[in-house]
Amino acid sequence: MRRLVRPDQIRVFSLVVLLVAFVLFFSAQIPGYLSGRTFVRISTGVAIIAVVAVGQTLVVLTRNIDLSVGSVVGFTAWAVGMALASNKEMAAPLAVLLAIGIGVLSGVVNGLLVAYGRVPAIIVTLGTLAIYRTILVGVANAKTVTIDALPEWMKALPRANLLTMGDLEVRAMVALAVVIVALFQLGLVYLRFGRRLYAIGSNPDAARIAGLPAQRTVFLAYVLCDALAGLAGFMFLARFGTITVVAAQGMELQSVAAVVVGGVNMLGGSGSMVGTLIGATLVETIQQSLIRVPGLSEFWIDALLGLLILLAVASDAIILNRLRKAWLARPTPSGPDGRDDRDTGARVSDSALSASGAPAGGKSS
Amino acid sequence: MTARVAALDSVWFGSMTTTPIPTPDPPSQTGAQPVLAMRGISKRFDATQALSDVSLALYRAEVHALLGENGAGKSTLIKIMTGIHPPDSGEIILDGRQVQIANAMAAQALGIAAIYQEPMIFPDLDVAENIFIGHASRSVLMNWGKLHREAEAILQKIDVKLDVRMPARGLTLAQQQAVEIAKAISLNVRVLIMDEPTASLSAHEVEQLFRLVDTLRKAGVAILFISHRMDEVFSIADRVTVFRDGKWISTKPRSQVTSDGAIRDMVGRTIEDFFAKTTARQGDVLVSVRNLGRTGAFRGVSFDVHRGEVLGFAGLVGARRTDVGLALFGIEPADSGEIIFDGARVVIRTPEQATGLGIAYVTEDRRQLGLSMPQSLTTNITLPAMKRYVTPLGLVDSKREAETAEAFKTQLSIRTPSVQHPVGKLSGGNQQKVMLAKWLNTQPKLLILDEPTRGIDVGAKADVHHFISDLAGQGMAIILISSDLPEVLGMSDRVLVMREGVQMGIFNRDEATQERVMTAAMGQSASTSAFANADAASAIGTGAGPSTGAAAGRSG
Repeated sequence: MRRLVRPDQIRVFSLVVLLVAFVLFFSAQIPGYLSGRTFVRISTGVAIIAVVAVGQTLVVLTRNIDLSVGSVVGFTAWAVGMALASNKEMAAPLAVLLAIGIGVLSGVVNGLLVAYGRVPAIIVTLGTLAIYRTILVGVANAKTVTIDALPEWMKALPRANLLTMGDLEVRAMVALAVVIVALFQLGLVYLRFGRRLYAIGSNPDAARIAGLPAQRTVFLAYVLCDALAGLAGFMFLARFGTITVVAAQGMELQSVAAVVVGGVNMLGGSGSMVGTLIGATLVETIQQSLIRVPGLSEFWIDALLGLLILLAVASDAIILNRLRKAWLARPTPSGPDGRDDRDTGARVSDSALSASGAPAGGKSS
Repeated sequence: MTARVAALDSVWFGSMTTTPIPTPDPPSQTGAQPVLAMRGISKRFDATQALSDVSLALYRAEVHALLGENGAGKSTLIKIMTGIHPPDSGEIILDGRQVQIANAMAAQALGIAAIYQEPMIFPDLDVAENIFIGHASRSVLMNWGKLHREAEAILQKIDVKLDVRMPARGLTLAQQQAVEIAKAISLNVRVLIMDEPTASLSAHEVEQLFRLVDTLRKAGVAILFISHRMDEVFSIADRVTVFRDGKWISTKPRSQVTSDGAIRDMVGRTIEDFFAKTTARQGDVLVSVRNLGRTGAFRGVSFDVHRGEVLGFAGLVGARRTDVGLALFGIEPADSGEIIFDGARVVIRTPEQATGLGIAYVTEDRRQLGLSMPQSLTTNITLPAMKRYVTPLGLVDSKREAETAEAFKTQLSIRTPSVQHPVGKLSGGNQQKVMLAKWLNTQPKLLILDEPTRGIDVGAKADVHHFISDLAGQGMAIILISSDLPEVLGMSDRVLVMREGVQMGIFNRDEATQERVMTAAMGQSASTSAFANADAASAIGTGAGPSTGAAAGRSG
């Protein structure tokens, strides 16, 4: 059977082209841009955002959102840092487990409220965003984790390289992020759980009628998402060493930006981890590089990032739809009736309005 | 033996009836055990008795058509069969054993599946995955190769050509239904419910769907087929059951069913005397609609409404009556034809414009579109006419607001502790009255009522009917859209009948009998029914025998 490139693959490809274009632009603008140092700096930043964004993708695929990830990263980074500072004998795997455990706990709260409590995700996670941060401020009591208080292995971790190719150093943390992206990408394609995420986001009503365990799946998506945010908190601690109560503030927006730019549909049902990784790379590259463009006010960076997100969403709506139509219109063995290409979305029938007593999607709960 | 035990159970668990439960036998299958038998099923929703003591038996390899007007209880029965609602009483017997269907997954596990008018597909998943997504036995790890091969095999079996790797987004409705049927086959369904599957299909697609249905029948599946199209029922069904008002009326083999007989069974209701419409002195024409249409919804609708007249809109689900109302009120503007209002040609594009002309539209959907539930009666009633309550200083005169609300409370006998009470706390009937008050307060010339008495109790219904009659008496022109046939016939001076977006005719009060209106609503004429009968008689016996396709029935 003939296999053509699918629209979402074209999307990922266009992102890569965009990334290359940006890198070329920056290297023309910034002296000494193309260097090993730039790569290390950007790739380490990408590693943390990518891990958070992988979790965010799981949640967004189900037509939900997790805005609390920034607070979870900050809380975990601080808590693990304090634990290590007070007990330098603590084994490294235990520290990682502690980080993930804090994440799981936050995810359980979010997941219970969204999946079983049926409270809209944006409200739940906006609430927990504030609550987790407030708990951190309260617990921290103005104490800050400092790099000097951390054990030696922790200080060495951000400089640990997996491999070095001349000028190019691949940090262990970057490798870890790539492994996580790869594992979750495979999980999305090959695990029943992964397929259910797509199904639930794609058509929640059909998922219910098909008997899919929607609540459990959404709950697990949140637990995994915040577990990854916990792990990212550990990486954040390793990278910066010094953790104040405002650590990782705004990371929720970065992760959502990475997910959206990476082509994950905010209405659920489509997207990939590879797309998310490229989205995270693009977002982080632009953020880090704009700072170095001479004569550009820092003020503009956020605006440009916002513009990029708008473009991503607009292109998703317009370009991708055209691509899909073109893809569907290609000559293939057609179905029961190839000649009929009515747009099913345009049929608002008497029955849709009257039989259910509510317009489609307007269920009162 | 098991059947006798089950019958004993129904005695034990106190089925409310004393009359014997009719369990009609199929032709030439006496003694065969039905795959699925529903016995003495009752279900009540608030004020509505949706089903009372109905029974239905489905046999292997039969297509069993279920006919009934809107509100006859067909949808409720489907929902009970698929585990969405539990029945209040009665029993469900599958293969001679009594079963409880707790949820959709349980129905699926028992081999019962439903295909709806709008197929439940996952647009982002590919065709193969759509077929297998709900399988309980699906392994934790995906085997895409196997998935695609099996999907291809199933589609080949039912002779449907589709790329199984193609995302379901963009499939035509007919293709989506083919996917749903493939899904049903993959689940080894024994009972397949098809709820108006042909409503949005072209003639060619219907033909193809029927070939699939026939394939399923030959494979031994029991199919419950719901349709409003009589010709389809005659061309595919082996037996025909009619429901009316939540009650079982008849079950007959197709050869003994005539179109007229079926329609009589469907509409045989008595028009109760509380329909209070008194013929008002009609004034001049207020609205003239000529050849009105909206692409994809309705076309060629033409009628006049006089001052003081009630024009009823009758039709079955999918007749697009509501769309005509929405067009007149500017919510979904018409794109062809013309409207002459009060002597001037108008183009209505927005509800504001319609309200300005003196048109009010009381929606059928109180909760979503009609009322603000947490707010008071007063706020709700004065909202569309807010301009009249603003003092010269730009503030709202809440005293006059309350006066208006009190006046309507008395006039419509709205039962509420006070006019400041939240609307959401009132009963459905009283909410409906608040809706009426809200739009009457705009002092409209034309009032469009969409299902004004749906889901409200008999007393409130009578109040609303009296009130409609009074309004017409005062010279208001009224369009009454209702699925309640006796209501339309009792309340209207003339009745416009629609079917699938096409105007089938306008009947005067004295010509509008239930049979005539229902015949028009089903698009049926004497000649076609005779043809369908002949066709039915010649086609009978194809694949209906209990022994056909035994091997393909159920393997595990």
